[in-house]
Amino acid sequence: MTTMMTELDEFVVVHPLDDVAEEKVATEHLGPMPMTRTVKVCLFALRGYLLLMVGLLGFRVLQLW
Amino acid sequence: MNSGYRVILWPDDRLPRHDRETPVVTTTYSARQDSAAPVAAIRVSNRWTAHALTFLMVFGPGLIVMEADNDAGAVSTYVQAGAQYGTHLLWLLLLLLPISYFVQEMVVRLGIATGQGHAAMIYRRFGKWWGRFSLADLLLLNFLTLVTEFAAIALALDKMGVNPLFGVPAAAIALTALVLTGSYRRWERIVVFLCLLDLVWFAIAFRVHPAASDVLRHSLMPSLPLGGLNASWLFLVIATVGTTIAPWQLFFQQSCVADKRLRFSDLRWARLDTLIGAVFTILVAGCMMLAGNAAFLRHWNFTDPAQMAVQLGAVSGPFLKNAILLLMINAAVLGTTTISLSSAWAYGEVRGWPHSLQKPVREAPAFYAVYGLCVVAAAGLVLIPRAPLQLIILSVQVLAGLMLPSAIVFLQLLLNDKEVLGNRFANRPWNNIVNWTIVILLFVLSLLLAAQVAVPRLFPNA
Repeated sequence: MTTMMTELDEFVVVHPLDDVAEEKVATEHLGPMPMTRTVKVCLFALRGYLLLMVGLLGFRVLQLW
Repeated sequence: MNSGYRVILWPDDRLPRHDRETPVVTTTYSARQDSAAPVAAIRVSNRWTAHALTFLMVFGPGLIVMEADNDAGAVSTYVQAGAQYGTHLLWLLLLLLPISYFVQEMVVRLGIATGQGHAAMIYRRFGKWWGRFSLADLLLLNFLTLVTEFAAIALALDKMGVNPLFGVPAAAIALTALVLTGSYRRWERIVVFLCLLDLVWFAIAFRVHPAASDVLRHSLMPSLPLGGLNASWLFLVIATVGTTIAPWQLFFQQSCVADKRLRFSDLRWARLDTLIGAVFTILVAGCMMLAGNAAFLRHWNFTDPAQMAVQLGAVSGPFLKNAILLLMINAAVLGTTTISLSSAWAYGEVRGWPHSLQKPVREAPAFYAVYGLCVVAAAGLVLIPRAPLQLIILSVQVLAGLMLPSAIVFLQLLLNDKEVLGNRFANRPWNNIVNWTIVILLFVLSLLLAAQVAVPRLFPNA
């Protein structure tokens, strides 16, 4: 609720911190994200990327040793 | 007769029925008793005044997250880019403007829809392993970045004749006191004021007299350095991208939006806030490059912006020297408070502790303890003689390279999570095209950086 209007065309503006708490999207009952093909591919690519980066970092450290 | 205020839910009212999946507030306040209406409401008779006031109330997180990204490391990177390549890299900043906006806009949507921070969402939707990985990487990277912020404060104070042994602890105490007031609004107003101090960069850019035609040409026309692609140019390009889009920003803005309790109807104003922040930040970054361009034109060599400020002050007067040194400190202060808060919010969310700037210390002691610990430990490390600052700066770059692509992948997946966001807040197809392009670009740049680190002779030296 940001702007409210009365019949007299009066607008009421409220700071978010002064406003009534809004009911947000409920996430408490949700478990992990469903493993769709897109999610699987993304997480697989991310693991590969992280392994590659850690490997390159290790390689560089060994070079400097 | 209708005796109440009807909440205007402007975006949802215009949506087709199938898009109204997410819960919306339908509170109606009684005009007679006003018992449920917020006490601090402002009544105006003009629609545009109401819009302007609402925007001013929502304004803050977008500007802060963007401008705080022009931290001490960013000042160093942009000034260095200007000093090495003059105005030739201005086009890159213009390219980064929409990229930084689109990335942060996703965070705003996620924060407003869920009212939760980024770390909490990663834990909830991707499980403990990815949650712990993201949190540990964020906390470590943030801490190392904080050390660089305090190193910059020490450097600038030293050049101003202030002993860092007194100046750095004083800065740490002031930065801790800044959040201890138990008022989000007070913190936000002070930090917005500090952000606006960066307007002085425009005066600096004006004083160093850049050639307007060069600025315009190099802003609009991308160009390779003379002699072609080389390792130093590539490194500066990657550093500039890495400086403009940082992992902590994702965590910070989502937590900030949640702490400020922005509402669904605030989304358009929060987007405008983020856009204004992005434009302001890129313009300020451009001014930093122009300050560096002054050194480029005079063929000066320097190792940090403080040294350049001293050289510039010797030929152009004390205003430029003092202004650059003070702005370096300001940049570090902005970076420190936001980065520390992103750590404290993220850790608090994951541990389930109370974590809000609205709470006094006695109600959220652990949240403030994490913030204070980050600040004090980073300041303390800088004061240790012969601390390995170069190693820390290198570690920041490596960890940021690891962290940013993974954080953005999680963000992109969360924004496509219709189980959480419904059709209203989830990415549209055009969002996905833009954002996946950004993700791929960041991966490629990170891999190029990794390749350059692993095989130093991969690209020719300048």
